[in-house]
Amino acid sequence: MKRWILGYLAFAVLILPLAGTTLAQGIPDVRFGIYAYRPDFIMQERYQPLADYLTGRIGIPVKLQVLDQEQMRTALASNQLDFFLTNPSQFLVIRSERSLTGVLATLVRKHDGVASASLGGVIFTTAAREDITSLADVQGKTVATPGRHFLGGFQSQVLELKEAGVDVLRDNRVKLVRSHDRVLRSVLTGDAEIGFVRTGILEELVADDPGLADRIRILNRQNLAGFPYVVSTRLYPEWPIAALPHVNSDVVRRVASALFAIEENYPAALSAGIAGFAPPADYQSVEYLARELRVEPYDELPQLTWGELIGQYWGWLIAVGSLVLLLTGAMLWLRRKKRELAAEQRRLRRLILSWPQPMLMLRGGEFVDTNRSALELLRFVMPQSLLGKDIAAFSPHEQPDGDVSRQKMQRLLQQVALGEVVQVEWVFRRSDGSEVWVDMTLAPVHEQDESQPHVLCSWYDVTRRKEAEQRQRMAASVFDHAREAIFITDLHGLIIDVNDAYVEITGRARADAIGRLPPLPLEEGIGVFASARSHGFWSGEFTSKRQSGEHFSLALTVSGVRDERGAISHFMGIFSDITRLKAQEKELRTMAHYDALTHLPNRVLFTDRMQQVMAQARRHDDLLAVVYIDLDQFKPVNDAYGHKAGDELLVEVAKRMRAELREEDTLARLGGDEFAALIVNITEPAVLENLLARLLHAVSEPVPVAGHLVQVSASIGYTLYPRAEELDGDQLLRQADQAMYQAKQKGRNRYCGFDSAAS
Amino acid sequence: MHRRHFLGASLVAGFAALGLRGCGMPRPLRFGIHPWIGYESLYLAEEFGWLPASVELVKGASALDSMELLKSGKLDGAGLTLDEAIRVHVESPELLVVGVTDVSVGADVLVAKRGIRNLDQLRGKRIAVELAGVSGTLLLNVLDQAGIEWDEVTVVDVPVDKYVGLWKRGEVDAIACYEPTASILLGLGGVRLFDSSQLPETIFDVLVVTRKFAAMVPDAVRALLEAHFSGLRHLVRNQHDSVYRVATRQGISPMDVRLALASVMFPDLASNRRYLAKDGRVEQVARSLSRMLAREGLVHRPLGVDRFSDNDFLPRSVA
Repeated sequence: MKRWILGYLAFAVLILPLAGTTLAQGIPDVRFGIYAYRPDFIMQERYQPLADYLTGRIGIPVKLQVLDQEQMRTALASNQLDFFLTNPSQFLVIRSERSLTGVLATLVRKHDGVASASLGGVIFTTAAREDITSLADVQGKTVATPGRHFLGGFQSQVLELKEAGVDVLRDNRVKLVRSHDRVLRSVLTGDAEIGFVRTGILEELVADDPGLADRIRILNRQNLAGFPYVVSTRLYPEWPIAALPHVNSDVVRRVASALFAIEENYPAALSAGIAGFAPPADYQSVEYLARELRVEPYDELPQLTWGELIGQYWGWLIAVGSLVLLLTGAMLWLRRKKRELAAEQRRLRRLILSWPQPMLMLRGGEFVDTNRSALELLRFVMPQSLLGKDIAAFSPHEQPDGDVSRQKMQRLLQQVALGEVVQVEWVFRRSDGSEVWVDMTLAPVHEQDESQPHVLCSWYDVTRRKEAEQRQRMAASVFDHAREAIFITDLHGLIIDVNDAYVEITGRARADAIGRLPPLPLEEGIGVFASARSHGFWSGEFTSKRQSGEHFSLALTVSGVRDERGAISHFMGIFSDITRLKAQEKELRTMAHYDALTHLPNRVLFTDRMQQVMAQARRHDDLLAVVYIDLDQFKPVNDAYGHKAGDELLVEVAKRMRAELREEDTLARLGGDEFAALIVNITEPAVLENLLARLLHAVSEPVPVAGHLVQVSASIGYTLYPRAEELDGDQLLRQADQAMYQAKQKGRNRYCGFDSAAS
Repeated sequence: MHRRHFLGASLVAGFAALGLRGCGMPRPLRFGIHPWIGYESLYLAEEFGWLPASVELVKGASALDSMELLKSGKLDGAGLTLDEAIRVHVESPELLVVGVTDVSVGADVLVAKRGIRNLDQLRGKRIAVELAGVSGTLLLNVLDQAGIEWDEVTVVDVPVDKYVGLWKRGEVDAIACYEPTASILLGLGGVRLFDSSQLPETIFDVLVVTRKFAAMVPDAVRALLEAHFSGLRHLVRNQHDSVYRVATRQGISPMDVRLALASVMFPDLASNRRYLAKDGRVEQVARSLSRMLAREGLVHRPLGVDRFSDNDFLPRSVA
């Protein structure tokens, strides 16, 4: 394509002289601006021949205008130029500000017979500065440059230094001296330590002043074969020549062809020191540089419009947008969940804290949390009293089962760590020293990624139950071990339960006893329960039969057992076996009224009976006799055969006398060998006398005692009742005694009646 | 003598670097290059400091150096022509093409005596060629295209530096060669009977790495390609600078560099992606070339891998 254009241009050059004459008529002149990279007069002198050449070729006067940067801008802004030749950096700036047709041609310079369309930058210092030999040495030095918009005079050096780690724009003092010539002067006079100039300048100056080459030192000198100039940086395309949009296209075409037609030996080329013009170069490398350094026109980042952004990145934008939406949604959702969770947690915590049952949290065996009830149970005020301590710290040294509290708890916690839920009764010691029984539950609370799992611990106060149990145990023990028989019946008196003593006393097995009636007095029967109901209890003594049929006496107390409402729901009876007691009582009674040897009533009973029969005799107007009997010669028997023989004699005599008397009569032994008798219902004296005679006879019969037959007799006195005068029993017996004394006196073995006259 | 030798006369003491590898992990990519316009991108990258620490350039005088070092395991990759890459690959270590630096569009020429006007007339003629080099590939392609069997011509296998002498003595009728020998022979009355511009997209200069290294340190391979494309941008877009640098390094004039630049095409990132794609041009050419080489007994076996090229290591964009 380019070649085709070139060919076309070459053709145009050939026909131009013909066409020029016609064109010239409408256009007064062509204004050709050139950037003054060297002093005005030098520029004017060198480039005027080029203007003249172009004037000749296109047939329109070409006016050369040498302009500095500011002047060129102003001129361009007011359309005062048609063509301009400037450095690539400046060209980029202008192109960015105005719409240009692009580059017409690129300048080709020539030095020492070698042409080059490349330019670069030179970094130099004075030869005297031996401390500055490399790019790194430029750091912090004062730099002289013709201006910031110079490619070869500033920007190329800045990029090279930047890549060597020296940021000129930031770290160096930069003196803008407006032209390359002044840069050299600044460095030589010491105003600046480093100079930046474009390629070719030094060679031109050295041509004027050959000694100059020895006074300066080039830094970072590039060894580029075939490049005619000394250079410190990489190379860029030479100056472009461009036309402004308003210029007639014919004029542009003719100027371009005239430019390409320039040969090395043309005066225009020789004067300007150029080899001619080459087809437009690729200025992209200059753009890269400007972008890299962020200099005009790339000093500001391009403003990207939303439209462009959306147009180019809609896919990404949608993706990112949806992601952001998703993320926001997820975040909101998470936040809500978190809030809900927190509320839930608070609720749960409040619940646990205010729960009436003590609850605690353990970790590593120590309390980490507790609720109020737990504190109250142990009678503490502050949770801090519990936190951080273990269970054993609040327990007595040993539990009631004898285990050491701490060891037992460690064992339990090991079980819990294995995932078991443990329930155990535990005794705590409260802050006031009292003990409290709890039913303790320990449950693992599993959370992953916890090295020491939490254990939930809850207590249930069972002290009361424990005490009740203890009372019950005591009651049961009493029931079981009482000597008294205890039975419990229902309301009908049928046995529900009995104790061991009951079984022992009644001889009835427990199973037999249950469901039957307990032993009851014959007369009242189950009436005792009615009594117990109405009076609260019944008690009495009676005789009953054992299982074996044996009789036994018992003292029973039956009382009502009341339920919660005060109504009698059961009866409880307690009885003891009083059979022996009864026997003893009877024996005692016998001992008090009877003579132990002869088993005859003694004086006490005799006196008692005498009172009775006297009262009877008076009531029925009967006659009775009180008889006093004394054995004769009893003492010799006693002395001769011993007391035992005497006793045997007494017993035999008493038996014989008793046998002679009637049933209703009473014979008593008053002591020693003295007896007394009460004879009742004496209808006539003969009855009495007959009876007394039999008594004498009975006594006088021989008695075998201790292997001997012994014979004794009796002296009997008697008195009758009632008598004329009122007498008491003692008087009667005394009368009988007196009568017996008479019988003794009259010769024994006889009876005598009391005769009041005789006494 | 291998191609790409003539351009760079300088023998760089890059080999010294071979023994200096540190013991840190992972080790840098040791990459062999030699003076050739296609590899100038890497020289430029090194010159401007765009080469990362993970890549170490080992500079040889010719492709032969790189091939030898690759075979002995002293290199992890190199810049080679595609046929050279195949020759190394079939002997070991197995290689992978990760980048195309240039495509020859006229750099490889078959110069013939004035009397020979078309390819058909080559039958029965003596043709000088360096069989082990890229010119061998050119000749194979020429004969293939002309439908001439290998035994219908007399092939004189000689190194490049003997060409001019042979030509002057009139001992051969045609010579398969490349610039600048081609220009010299043309100057001596030869005719440009055929050149690589008639074999579009066939003669490639490529960046290869060993498969082992690519699997081990893929990041270093990516870094190498990034450096290549940075250098390439400077080479192409800033020719006003790069021609002088290339000229300096190769010891030729900037004008010669411009000519050399004109005889090759530099595929950019997008073209690389296309060339290296699965069933892309490089893959196709490599397969047909390896078959051709194997058929003529120039290599002992064909490629034998699913993919000889991979565009996975190319950067997303050029910084």
